[in-house]
Amino acid sequence: MFDASQQRKLVSVRGLKMYFPIYTGLLRRHTGDVKAVDGVSFDIYEGETLGLVGESGCGKSTCGRAVLRLYEPTEGSIIIDGKELAWDNIEARRISDQADRIGRWATWAAFLLGAALVIWLGATEMLTGAWPIVIAVLAVLVATYLVSRLSRSVIYRLRGASEGVSVDEFAPDDRALRRIRPTMQMVFQDPQASLNPRMTVADIIGEPLSEHSNKTGKERLNRIYELMDEVGLNRDFANRYPHEFSGGQRQRIGIARALALNPKFIVCDEPIAALDVSIQAQVVNLLEDLQTELGLTYLFISHDLSMVRHIADRVAVMYLGKIVELAPRDGLYEDPHHPYTKALLSAVPEPDPVSHDEANRVILQGDVPSPSNPPKGCNFCTRCPSVMDICHQIDPEFREVSAGRFVACHLFNDTQTAG
Amino acid sequence: MLDGAKPSVLDVKDLKTVFKTRRGEVHAVNNVSFHLEAGELLGVVGESGSGKSVTMMSLIGLLPSPPAEVRNGQVNFGGMDLLRADEDQLRAIRGARIGFVFQDPMTSLNPVFNVGFQLMEPLRKHMGLSKSKARKRAVELLELVGIPDAQRRLKDFPHQFSGGMRQRVMIAIALACDPEVLIADEPTTALDVTIQAQILELVAELRKKLGMAIVWITHDLGVIAGIADRVLVMYGGQVVEQGPVRELFANPKHPYTRALLETVPHVRGARAERLKVIQGQPPMLSGQPTACPFRDRCPEAMPRCAQENPWRISVGHSHDVACFWDPDTGEARDV
Ligand SMILES: Nc1ncnc2c1ncn2[C@@H]1O[C@H](COP(=O)(O)OP(=O)(O)OP(=O)(O)O)[C@@H](O)[C@H]1O
Ligand SMILES: Nc1ncnc2c1ncn2[C@@H]1O[C@H](COP(=O)(O)OP(=O)(O)OP(=O)(O)O)[C@@H](O)[C@H]1O
Ligand code: SF4
Ligand code: SF4
Ligand SMILES: [Mg+2]
Ligand SMILES: [Mg+2]
Repeated sequence: MFDASQQRKLVSVRGLKMYFPIYTGLLRRHTGDVKAVDGVSFDIYEGETLGLVGESGCGKSTCGRAVLRLYEPTEGSIIIDGKELAWDNIEARRISDQADRIGRWATWAAFLLGAALVIWLGATEMLTGAWPIVIAVLAVLVATYLVSRLSRSVIYRLRGASEGVSVDEFAPDDRALRRIRPTMQMVFQDPQASLNPRMTVADIIGEPLSEHSNKTGKERLNRIYELMDEVGLNRDFANRYPHEFSGGQRQRIGIARALALNPKFIVCDEPIAALDVSIQAQVVNLLEDLQTELGLTYLFISHDLSMVRHIADRVAVMYLGKIVELAPRDGLYEDPHHPYTKALLSAVPEPDPVSHDEANRVILQGDVPSPSNPPKGCNFCTRCPSVMDICHQIDPEFREVSAGRFVACHLFNDTQTAG
Repeated sequence: MLDGAKPSVLDVKDLKTVFKTRRGEVHAVNNVSFHLEAGELLGVVGESGSGKSVTMMSLIGLLPSPPAEVRNGQVNFGGMDLLRADEDQLRAIRGARIGFVFQDPMTSLNPVFNVGFQLMEPLRKHMGLSKSKARKRAVELLELVGIPDAQRRLKDFPHQFSGGMRQRVMIAIALACDPEVLIADEPTTALDVTIQAQILELVAELRKKLGMAIVWITHDLGVIAGIADRVLVMYGGQVVEQGPVRELFANPKHPYTRALLETVPHVRGARAERLKVIQGQPPMLSGQPTACPFRDRCPEAMPRCAQENPWRISVGHSHDVACFWDPDTGEARDV
C-alpha cells in the first residue's frame, strides 16, 4: 500500500481561499463574498490519490479549479512540483500590484510625453516631410513598449530589494503557467459544457496532441485510437460529434482527452458521476492502472463514498468551504471522527433493498448555511448532532489529532490538550 | 395491465426511436414497453447509452426531429396517446402534468435567465399565480430542495450555482406545478448523499401526499434499492428485465443484471482490491436488432442468441426477462 512518509510532496496547498464577490443594488456595490473555499490546506504525495468528498456546493470543484490555477485564488499558496503557482507571500503580491500600477502610469506618461514631443517638433517645423514624422512616431511607440515591458520588473526588483522580498516569491506569469499546464489536467464534472459541439470525437481527443506535441498524422490517429480503447469507447465512434453520445459516453471522451498528454497530476472532478456502475468500475480500474504504470497523482473529487473508498489512499472531507477531516482511507471509513463525516457515511444507500428497511441513518436536520454568510463558530454547528456551546463561539482549529489524521472539531480538542 | 392492481397512469407500448445521422441510422430505442401505476416509483437502470434518456424524451416529444424519429409505439396518458398529440396539447402537459428533470442541467436551464424567472414562469403560466405569489412559492421550492439563502439566489444565473445546486433547481422546477407524473433522469448524480437523502425523503413525502407516480433513472443501485417499487433494466435500447425491487435484487435473471449487481462497490464490509467490470463494448445499435444485444459480452451466450432477439418472458409475479438462458437450471429456456 501507499506509504506517505516515503513520498515526495507533489502538491502542497496552504491557506487557500477563493471568494466570489457579490455585487448588489443599482450601483453594483461590492456587498459581500461567496466564500466558496475558505482557507484549506493539504498535501498530495507523488503517486497517491487524494479523495475530496463533501456536500454539494461546499467548494470541491472551486478548490480543484483553483489548485490548477483556472481561477486566480484570493489568497494562499499552491506549490506544484516545486513551483509556486499562487501568492504565498502577501507582501510580494502587494509589491507586484503596486508595480503594475506604477508601470501602467509610466507607460501612459511615456506615450503622452513622446506624443507631445512629436507634436511640438512638428508644430515648430523642426520635423518636416513624411519620413521623419513616421520615424518619430515609430520611435515613440517603441519607447512606450520598452517602458511598459521594463518598468514593471525594474520596479519590483527595486521595491523587493528595499523590502527584503526575493523575486522568486513572485507568482509565475502567464508564460510560466502555460509551461506547467500540460503536466496538470482536469476532467470536468459537466461533460456537456467542456466538449466543443462542432468537433468530432477524434478532434477533441487529439486537440491537446496537436497543440503540445509534434506527432505525424498517423501517430496522432494511433494515439487517439489507443486512448479511445483505454476509456472504453468504440473506435468506430471517432468521427461522431458529442451530441450523438449518451451522457456517460461523453464523459469518457473528456477522460481520454485529459490523458492525451500523459500528465503528472490530474484533478478528476466527479469524473464518474455520469457513468453507469460497470463503466464507473472500468474507469476507476483504468485510472488505477494508469497510476501504477505512469506514476500519476490524482485529486479525486466525488460524492460517491463507495468509489472514493476504492480509489483513494487518503480522503479529505469538506464542509462549507473548509476541510473538516483528512485521514488515511481505512481509518476514515472504519472510524470517522468528525460528526459530519459520520453523518455522510451513514447516509450512503446500500444496494440491498432489505437493509434499507432497517437502516439506521443520521439524517441531518437544520438549515444548510450559505457560503456567503457562514455561521459564527464551527461551520457545522447549525446541523451538528453533537453541538456544544463552544461550537457557536469559536471556530475549531484544523489539527492533527493522531498520526496523519486531521480534524477540525471541538470534540477532539480536549484529548489534544489533555494528552 | 395483467397483474397491476392499480390503474396505470402511464402506459408505453412498443416504443421505437431511431436517429438518422449521416453515417446511417442509430436504433436507440427498440420496442420498449412499460407501465407506471399511480403513486408508484419505477426505477430505471442500465448501461450508459442503453436508451434510458431517449426513451423518456420520446414519450413527451422532447427529441428534436430530425435527427430523431419516433417510428412506432403508443403512450397512453390520461386517455390520450401522447405520440399522436399535437404540440399545444403536449405543451400543456409538459411541466404541468408531467414534470421532467433532465440529465444535464446546464443544457436545460437557460443561461441567460436568472433562476427565479425560470422557476416562476411555469407557476404563472400553468397555475396562473400572480407575480408575488409565484415568487413566494419559488423561494419555498428552493428551500424545499435544500438551497440556502433562497431569496437572494433567485436573482442568480445558473453558472453561479454548483453542479449539484443546478440539479436541485431542476428538481424544484419539475415539482413546481405538483405534476401527476415525475420523470427524473439521473436527478441526484451530482448530489452528495446527505442532500440526496433529503431529496429522496421529499420525494417520498410528495408521493404520499399527492400520489405522484415517478420514473427515476439512475445508475446508483443503492438509491434504487432504497426507493423503487419496481425496476426496469435496459440494455442496448431494449428492456432486458423488469420486476419488483426485492425480487430483482434477490433473484436477478438476466446475465447483464447479474453482472451489474456484482460490480457495485460498498462503503461497508470488505474492500475489493479490484472492481469487477463487464468486459467488452456496448453494441453499435446501427440496425434493427436480429440477435440478443448482450451476446458479445454474455458469459452464457449460446448459438441461438446470435440468431434470434429474445422477447420478454414472464418468470414470476410481474417479473419478466428477455433471455434464452435460465439461471435456475443453468440451461437454455424451453421457449
Ligand atoms: N462563478 C461563480 N460565481 C459565484 N459563485 C460561485 C461561482 N462558482 C461557484 N460559486 C459558488 O461557490 C460555492 C461552491 O461551488 P462549487 O462548484 O465549488 O461546489 P462543489 O463542492 O463542487 O459542489 P457540487 O458537488 O454540487 O459540484 C457554491 O455556493 C456556488 O454557488
Ligand atoms: N442526437 C443523436 N444522434 C445520434 N445518436 C444519438 C443521439 N442522441 C442519442 N444517441 C444515441 O442513442 C443511444 C441512447 O442514448 P441515451 O442518451 O438514451 O442513453 P442513456 O441510457 O440515457 O445513457 P446514460 O446513462 O449515459 O445517460 C446512445 O447510443 C446514443 O449514442
Ligand atoms: S465543533 Fe461542535 S458543531 Fe462543529 S462539528 Fe464539532 S461538535 Fe459539531
Ligand atoms: S439471450 Fe443469450 S446472449 Fe442474450 S443475455 Fe441471454 S444468454 Fe446471454
Ligand atoms: Mg462540483
Ligand atoms: Mg441518459
